[in-house]
Amino acid sequence: MPTSSADVTTTLSTNPARPSLGSRLASRFGPLALARLYRSRPVLGWVVWLAILAAATVAMYSVQSRIDQAHVVLLYLLIVLGASASGGRALGFTLAFVSFLLIDYFFQQPYYDFFNDKPLDLFVLVTFLTTAIVSTQLLAHAQAQAREARTRAIEVTSLSRLASETLNAGRAEDALVKMVDVIQSTLGVTSCAIWPWMPDRGFGECITRGGIEPKRREPDSLVHRAAERGEPLTLSVDGALGNERTAPGTRELFLPLGAKSGVVGVLVLSDEKPIVFDPPKQRFLAALTYYAALGVERARLVREAEHAAALREADRMKDNLLASVSHDLRTPLTTIKALAQTEALRGDTAAAAIEEQADRLTRLVADLLDLSRMKGDAFHAAPDINTAEDLIGAAQRQAQGLLGDGRTIRTVVDLESPALVGRFDFTHALRIVGNLLENALRYTPPGGSVELGVRRDGDALVFTVADRGPGIPGAESDRIFQPFYRHADTAPDVGRAGLGLSIARRLAEIQQGSLTYEPRPGGGSVFVLKLPAVDIEEAEEQAAAS
Amino acid sequence: MDKAASILIIDDEQQIRSAVRNALREVADRIGEAATGAEGLNVAVAERPELVVLDLGLPDSAGVDVCRELRRVLASPIIVLSARHSEDEKVSLLNAGADDYVTKPFSVLELAARVRAQLRRARTASPASPSPMTIHGLSIDPVTRRVDRDGRQIHLTPIEWQILHTLVSAGGRTLTHQQIFDAVWSRQFGSPQQYLRVHITNLRRKIESDPASPRIVITEPGVGYRADVVR
Repeated sequence: MPTSSADVTTTLSTNPARPSLGSRLASRFGPLALARLYRSRPVLGWVVWLAILAAATVAMYSVQSRIDQAHVVLLYLLIVLGASASGGRALGFTLAFVSFLLIDYFFQQPYYDFFNDKPLDLFVLVTFLTTAIVSTQLLAHAQAQAREARTRAIEVTSLSRLASETLNAGRAEDALVKMVDVIQSTLGVTSCAIWPWMPDRGFGECITRGGIEPKRREPDSLVHRAAERGEPLTLSVDGALGNERTAPGTRELFLPLGAKSGVVGVLVLSDEKPIVFDPPKQRFLAALTYYAALGVERARLVREAEHAAALREADRMKDNLLASVSHDLRTPLTTIKALAQTEALRGDTAAAAIEEQADRLTRLVADLLDLSRMKGDAFHAAPDINTAEDLIGAAQRQAQGLLGDGRTIRTVVDLESPALVGRFDFTHALRIVGNLLENALRYTPPGGSVELGVRRDGDALVFTVADRGPGIPGAESDRIFQPFYRHADTAPDVGRAGLGLSIARRLAEIQQGSLTYEPRPGGGSVFVLKLPAVDIEEAEEQAAAS
Repeated sequence: MDKAASILIIDDEQQIRSAVRNALREVADRIGEAATGAEGLNVAVAERPELVVLDLGLPDSAGVDVCRELRRVLASPIIVLSARHSEDEKVSLLNAGADDYVTKPFSVLELAARVRAQLRRARTASPASPSPMTIHGLSIDPVTRRVDRDGRQIHLTPIEWQILHTLVSAGGRTLTHQQIFDAVWSRQFGSPQQYLRVHITNLRRKIESDPASPRIVITEPGVGYRADVVR
């Protein structure tokens, strides 16, 4: 059994119709070794066999009187078998018929005449013809089966080679290069290429047996079409397009590579001659494309894993940088503030101004850090079981310092029903509600009150912060959640960067919540924070049961 | 209130040391200084200060380690100065034995207030005989386990009592969720630790005059809880 790729190439190459088993039988059966010569030249085979037939006829005719009819028939039968074994079915049938005529003409009385009136002679003739045809037919069938088995064996060998090449190659991209090499040599085409493809990112670098081509070349439109439609495309010798893999006269074939995640690339095969696709070859091609798809998928997954690792590293470095910047800026600010405050307490108004500005700088540093965190997706949530009342209490307590001129916070909490429980990140949620309260109090006139409430609505805890301030014009109600938004009337140096609401919305979203605005009936604003609710009785029962 | 005998400031920045010294001049008689964690530990062992102010950004060692070492050799309160606004860090500091933390840049008034509160707590702590106390109109008797408001007894579940008792016994110190859980459930397996917040909410509904604006059991966001103990 041939296992080297050279043998594989020869046998599976563009014209596998000539039986190779024929040549093996020919070399095994003595004088017919010539058969090797005409394997690729069938006319020679016919000439040789007809010559052998003629020679045998002449030889037997010369000793006609000394041999029996049975000898004649047996020798002709032998020749027909030999011819059909090495030259195929057509040669076998032809020789059988010619022999039939020769027997009748030269070896049966009346000689030199095709007329025959003896029933026994007729029986011999018919028996000869039947035996010759049936044995030719059986031989051809056996040869076809042998050929089939051989092709299968080669397919299995090639596929296992493909698999081992794929597994042995170090990098996923190297595996793809090897795979292209195996496909090209196995199918015997002049060129083979894989274009990795992703629906959202388009084509990657082209992979050929020579390696990965740097991204200079763009795939042609047929490659695009095959990838986008997920259907095979063929280009015939005369330039016609088709959708059937088996289309006759195909010169170039574009096969989409399908993996679990959909189409992951396109395999392009092209040859100078038409590529022939018999059923075994098609089966083989299907297996090859499957392997190629797995290879492309593997390369992509490896790349993504590497990318994710790099992102994690970048994230870590960013966190470190933020921490050290934050530390480096806060330490001098601490000294400035502490010294200024000490002096201000002794009545120094200049020191009081310094302290105020230090506070402002501190807020700006905090805003900048938040901005870079927000841009870099560096906010992380750690949701936990928390109660709504706990959050409201903490938010109120935090906002105490902002109350002045008779402003108050009124809480609307149902204390009779069981406590409202949710799964959220307490510090993030507190920051959101704290920010909303701060805004609401800023727009509340002296003596006014801000309403802070919570209720359960379906799967959500709904926190509301409502004020009787000027409200927000409809056109601006979505812009307020954009970074650096500032109300048109706000003085430019209020000391904050205008990130509060955008950060608040982001913090709500990363814990599967939402933050929206709606006008308050009767004037003012309502900010609505929704966070995931949890049914505590059920959860408690489950915990107790376990 | 009497002045403290001594306070130790551990900080590598000379300017911050003098700012803290200024802020605490009214609070303490003697204020020692150390610029590194190692020096701070030596001074703490030699002079037994009544309170330590520890900066986390020391050049020679991680703040949490210094805190843990200090707690091993010293029973006095430790107040940590931190430049990071990270709840995780606060939790790890409290678990390492710190009593309180102040985030930079801090107000000197706030720092002084915290120092005073810690000193008061340290001096009045009498673990031998727990005595009845009153917090914001709520009287608590640790011996009889009786809790009253306005002369009316409040019935607490065993877990609610344990939580209240744990917080009150800490004398105003912030306890992390883990610390409270360990004290109340004694590391029993299978206990629903995550429902600590629900128990706290139920406890507040019984003992607070306005449960939506609690004054007795205070939430330290992302860190834990403390009792606002006023004696």
